[in-house]
Amino acid sequence: MMPLLAAGSTALLHNALLVGAILFALGLVGILTRRNLIVMFLSAELMLQGISVSLVAWSRYHGDWGGHVLVIFVLTVAACEAAVALVFVLQAFSRTGRLDAAAWQALREATLSRSVDHALPESDAVPPRWPRLARAGVLPPADEDAALEREHV
Amino acid sequence: MNGSLPALTPGLLLAGAVTAAAVSLWLLLPRGAESRLARSLGLVLGAVALAGFIAAGRRLGSLGEEAVFLTVALVAVVSGAATIVTRSPVYSAIWFALSLAGVAGVLLVLGAQFLGVATIVVYAGAILVMFLFVLMLAQPSGLAPYDRVSNEPLLSAVAGAVLLGLLSLSIGRLSTDASCCAVPSKAAAVTGAAQPPAPPTADDPLAVDQVARLGGELFGRHLLAVEVAGVLLLAALIGAIAVVTRGEAALEQDRRLAAGGGNR
Repeated sequence: MMPLLAAGSTALLHNALLVGAILFALGLVGILTRRNLIVMFLSAELMLQGISVSLVAWSRYHGDWGGHVLVIFVLTVAACEAAVALVFVLQAFSRTGRLDAAAWQALREATLSRSVDHALPESDAVPPRWPRLARAGVLPPADEDAALEREHV
Repeated sequence: MNGSLPALTPGLLLAGAVTAAAVSLWLLLPRGAESRLARSLGLVLGAVALAGFIAAGRRLGSLGEEAVFLTVALVAVVSGAATIVTRSPVYSAIWFALSLAGVAGVLLVLGAQFLGVATIVVYAGAILVMFLFVLMLAQPSGLAPYDRVSNEPLLSAVAGAVLLGLLSLSIGRLSTDASCCAVPSKAAAVTGAAQPPAPPTADDPLAVDQVARLGGELFGRHLLAVEVAGVLLLAALIGAIAVVTRGEAALEQDRRLAAGGGNR
């Protein structure tokens, strides 16, 4: 059976490493700029994806399993990291009511100045256009007992 | 290679592409006021950067291989960029899922069948769904103000450009001659389509029973690491549950303190 692409070809290695580097740099920019905690974690996962692509590319080039095994452990650690980090994100949200990283800037170094949002646009958000659904069927009769029970649930 | 533009060396091409990508990211990142001009300019510059990276990439063997790799790589990169520039975090997560599909495609092209499928199953199936659950629990309705501004987009884009420039320049210095620096013992059996196809060695990632071999390698040479990873998973599970329960208790205590400090 002939392989689809020749293993050990530098062209494939070069292109895959380039893709991995671009993904890593995108994740870096995302984690530096975005303020939503969840988007920051998505950016970190994007960096991990770039690493995985590079590792598998090298593994393909050298024809051994090292990169594959490392990527499996990257997946494991990413799962652990996501579980613990999302718990912290939920805790932070229940304390401040926001997913904003700047809500925790009281933890900064004493020598750093406070970051202030200079211009917060309030009106640029386009109101979402929800689809209008045609009414169909008949309205079911109201069940008073069920309505009462639902309040206790 | 570039017959019409002799001055366009690969290094210059990469530098231009990286610069265009940085400016495009800076224009596209949320910066408060939405500007249609900046948005369209950013999209155009992003397309220019992508074209530059495609031109800087080396040509694979045939047109079909080239097209397959280009498609999955473009999906991965474009949706990765959309992940970090989209305002709404829910759309961000969905773009990230699409980026995962592209990455899985790249892994499949690279011959990592198990990892390609595992990326889809573990990442898109489990981790991303967990992210979406947390988003549904925590996201206020509408776009929050902190989703519409970002921290220092210019400096971050420059930092990303410097990193990407260094990485891509060092990647571009890879020798085009495969025989110069390949490890002879392992790569010789699988190098080059010009040679007759060698019988699959123990290390051939393209063998038919690739997943079984990967499992053998994982549970043979790396058995201790697998055990440690299992302990790590258990510790993360218990730690997450512990933080949730203790955190609830601490929140309750905070509320009681805030309600009436004199009672305690």
